Amino acid sequence: MKFLLKQRSVIPGFGLSLGFTVLYLSLIVLIPLSGLLFKSATLSWQEFWEIVSSARVLASFRLTFGAALVAALMNGAFGLLVAWVLVRYPLPGKRLVDALVDLPFALPTAVAGITLAGLYSGNGWIGRFLEPLGIKVAYTPLGIIVALTFIGLPFVVRTVQPMLEDLESELEEAAACLGANRWQIFTRVIFPTITPALLTGFALAYARAIGEYGSVIFIAGNMPMISEITPLLIITKLEQYDYAGATAIAVVMLAISFLMLLTINLLQWWSRRHAER
Amino acid sequence: MQNQSLSLDRFSVGAGAARNALTESAAVRWLLTGLALAFLALILVIPLVAVFTQALDKGLDAYWAAITEPDAMSAIRLTLLTAAISVPLNLVFGVAAAWAIAKSKFRGKSLLITLIDLPFSVSPVISGLIYVLIFGLQGWFGPWLAEHDIKIIFAIPGLVLATIFVTFPFVARELIPLMQAQGTEEEEAALVLGASGWQTFFRVTLPNVIWGILYGVILCNARAMGEFGAVSVVSGHIRGLTNTMPLHVEILYNEYNFAAAFAVASLLALLALFTLAAKTLLGKKVRQEAQTTTK
Amino acid sequence: MSIEVQKITKKFGTYTALDQVDLTFPSGELVALLGPSGSGKTTLLRIIAGLETPDTGRVLFAGEEATNRHVRERQVGFVFQHYALFRHMTVFENIAFGLTVRPRGERPTKARIRDRVMKLLGLIQLDNLADRYPAQLSGGQRQRVALARALATEPKVLLLDEPFGSLDAKVRQELRRWLRRMHNEIHVTSVFVTHDQEEALELADRVVVMNQAKVEQVGTPEEVYENPVNPFVFNFLGNVNLFHCRDQVAGEFWTNSAAAISASAGEKVGTVGYARPFDIQISRTADTNEDIAAIVLFIQGAGALPRIEMRRPDNGQIVQAELPRDRFRQLGLRIGERVFIRPTNVRVFEPNYRI
Repeated sequence: MKFLLKQRSVIPGFGLSLGFTVLYLSLIVLIPLSGLLFKSATLSWQEFWEIVSSARVLASFRLTFGAALVAALMNGAFGLLVAWVLVRYPLPGKRLVDALVDLPFALPTAVAGITLAGLYSGNGWIGRFLEPLGIKVAYTPLGIIVALTFIGLPFVVRTVQPMLEDLESELEEAAACLGANRWQIFTRVIFPTITPALLTGFALAYARAIGEYGSVIFIAGNMPMISEITPLLIITKLEQYDYAGATAIAVVMLAISFLMLLTINLLQWWSRRHAER
Repeated sequence: MQNQSLSLDRFSVGAGAARNALTESAAVRWLLTGLALAFLALILVIPLVAVFTQALDKGLDAYWAAITEPDAMSAIRLTLLTAAISVPLNLVFGVAAAWAIAKSKFRGKSLLITLIDLPFSVSPVISGLIYVLIFGLQGWFGPWLAEHDIKIIFAIPGLVLATIFVTFPFVARELIPLMQAQGTEEEEAALVLGASGWQTFFRVTLPNVIWGILYGVILCNARAMGEFGAVSVVSGHIRGLTNTMPLHVEILYNEYNFAAAFAVASLLALLALFTLAAKTLLGKKVRQEAQTTTK
Repeated sequence: MSIEVQKITKKFGTYTALDQVDLTFPSGELVALLGPSGSGKTTLLRIIAGLETPDTGRVLFAGEEATNRHVRERQVGFVFQHYALFRHMTVFENIAFGLTVRPRGERPTKARIRDRVMKLLGLIQLDNLADRYPAQLSGGQRQRVALARALATEPKVLLLDEPFGSLDAKVRQELRRWLRRMHNEIHVTSVFVTHDQEEALELADRVVVMNQAKVEQVGTPEEVYENPVNPFVFNFLGNVNLFHCRDQVAGEFWTNSAAAISASAGEKVGTVGYARPFDIQISRTADTNEDIAAIVLFIQGAGALPRIEMRRPDNGQIVQAELPRDRFRQLGLRIGERVFIRPTNVRVFEPNYRI
C-alpha cells in the first residue's frame, strides 16, 4: 500500500476504505468485465470479424448508431431550447417544469417503453394523428428515434443549463454597447461559450442512446435487418446460447462506448479550460 | 447568478436598439417558450399522463386486481428485495470510496473515479451479459455451480448482482465531490482533540454528508427498482420467481394485457415522481452541505 | 512542557518545506514562527502537532521522544487557520468534543464536562452563545470558540496556525491582546504561526524568523528588530532603505560602528547599507558633510507616523522616511522642496552571515 500513498495521511482508515473499495470494484466490475474480454479472446480474429461483419449485425449497428445520432441531434437542438427557456424566461411553475426534465432519468425504461409504444401505435393518442398522414412511428426506426430522444433529453439540458446560468450578463452588455444586434450576440458571444457544454451533452446523450434497451424494444419492430437494435441482437444470441457471437458484438459496443467516454472526458476538460479563460 | 434580461426591459437606454440587443423581442420569446413547452409536453408530459390513464382504463377494480394478483405481488416483493440488498451495499461502497478518495492522498485517484463511473458507459444488456458469461451454464463457474446446485443466473442472486453493477456509482458519485469540497480540516481537528478514527467518522464526517447520502440513496434506489435491460438478461423470466416489476410489465404487455401492464407500470411511475420530488427538495440541501462555513 | 525539534527535514515531492531545522521552545513561553508564505512555518507547526511526519529528525516533548506518537496521543491543542469548527454541532458541543471522545474510563462525568465548558465560555466571553451553531457566529467569535475547544482538554502545548489571519483589522487587534492576556494567565507553552511581523513582535516572548525552509534568526522581539543578523530579517521586520556604496570614500557611506558588522576593506565595493525609514533624519540645511541632498516627491501626513518620499538627484534613489508628528509639523515640508537627509543606524551585513 505504501507505494500508492503520495504522503502518509494522518487521517485513519485509508487501508480499510481503499481496500474495501478495490475489492468491491474487482468483484463487481473488473472480474466480470475481464471475463467478457477473455471470452472474446477465445475467438480467433477471423471468427470475430465474421461475426461482427455479418449482414444482420451490421444492419443492427447501422440502425443503433444511426438512430442514436439522430436522436442526439434532436436533443441537442431541443435541449438547448429548453435550457434557454428555463434559464432566461419567466415561466409559471418553472420549478415543476425543471424537475420534470429529469423524468427520463427517473422513469424505469420499461415503463417508458410501453408508454411510448402505446402512444405512437396506430390507435394511440399521437399515432392516430400521424398514421393518416402516412407517418408510421411505432414498429419502425422512427419509433426508435422517438424513444431515444426521450431518453437523452436530460443530458443536454442538464449540461447546458449551468453554463447558461453562469454566463455573465456583462458579456452581452459589452457586445451591445459595441453595436451588436441580438442575433449577432447570440451567435458570436453566447453560442461559442456554451458550445463545449452542448457538445458534452450531445456526446452523453449519444452514448446513452447507443446502449439503450428497455425504452426501445417495445416501440421498435425488432425485425432483423430492419428494426433490430444491437442490444436486442446480443440478447437474441444469448438465448440461442451463441455466447461467442453475443460476446463479439458486445466487445465492439464496449469499445465504442469507451471511445465515447474518452471523448466526453476530453470535451469536459476542454470546456473547463474554456471556462477558466 | 441572477440573469438580468428581464429587469433590463424596463431600462430604457436611449434608442431601443441597445435594449433590444440584450433580450429577444417579445414575439421571439413567446415563440421559443411555446416551442419548448410544446416539445416538453409531447415528449414528457403526455407519456407521463398516458401511464396513469392507461392504467385506469378498465376502472379502479381492474387496477387493484392487476396489482394484487399473485405474480404481480411476487414481482413487487422481488423488486423490493433486490433494492433492499443492493442499495445498502452500494451505500457502504460509496461511503468507503468517498472516504478513501477525499480524505487521503494517493496516486491513481482519477483512475479509481473513472472505474467507478464505468457502469454508466456500459449498455445495460452488456451489464447483464458479463454475469452470464461468468455464472451462466457455459460460463467460467457454470459447471462448478451446476455441480453444487447453486443457481445464480436465472435466479435471484443473479438479479441482485446485475442490479448492484448498474447502480453502484450513484452514492459514490454524490459523496466524492461532496467530501472533497468539505476537505479534511474538521477530521484533523477531531483527531487532535483525541478522537479515534471511528469516532471521527461517525461524529464529524457522517453528519456533514447526511443529505448527500440520502440523495444518492434515493437515486440509487430509483435505478435499482427500475432496472430492466440488465436484469432481463440474467433473469429467467420465470413468472412468480425471477421477475421484477419491470420484467413483469414486459410480460403483461407482450400478452396484450395492456391495462394490467400499465397498472404495474404506474407504480413504477409513482416511484419516479417521488424520486423527482426528492431530487428537487434535497438538491438544495446537498448544495448547502458542500459549502464549508465561511472562512 | 518544553518542545524540541532536531534536524527536521520535510519534502513534498521536489519541494523542500523544511531543511534541517533545529529549535527549542522553552516551557511556558509564547513563541511566534514568523515568515513569508512557503517558509515552512505551518509545516513545522503541523509536524509538532503530529499532523505531518518529518522525513528526518526528531520531535521531543519535555525531553521525551514523541516523533512517532500519533497526533491523538500528543496532548496538543491546535487552532486551525480557518477554525475547523464542527459545523453541525453547537458551540457547547464543539468545546466539549475533546472531553466526550475520551475512552469510557477517562471520561469526565456530564456534570464535570458541563462545568468545564461553561467556564471556558466565560473565559472567551461567549456565555450566552452556547447553543448557537458556527454558521451563526462572526469570524472573531468562531476563532474564540476554536481556541476554547483546543483548551478544553488541558493540553500541554497550544499550537495556533495563523489564528487571526482571516479577521478584520480591528477584531485582529482585540483578539491579539486577548490572547496575550490569556497566555499570561494560563502559561501553557504556545507556538503560533504568522506572516504578520507586527503581530509577532507585539505578542511573542520569542520570535523565530523563518525563510525558505530554514530558520534565519531566533530571539526576543527587541533582539530581532534591533539586531537583525541578515538582510532578509531586516527587510522582513519592517521597511528598509538601501544605500549602495560605490567606493570606499567615507562621504557616501555611514556606519553605526557600535552595532554594525563592518565588511572588510576588499569588500566595500558594491556594499549595501540598510537603514529604516524611521532612522532617516531630514533637515533644511546641510549641517555636516555627511548630509545628502534630496527632493521631496510625496508626503503622506495622516496617521501616527507621517511618511515622506524623496528622490536623490545624484543617483535617482528613492528614499522613504518616517517622522514623528511634531517634527513633521515643525518642518512644514512641501512637494518639490530641496532638503538634506542623514541616515543614522545604518547596518552593513557580511555576505552569507548565518546564526
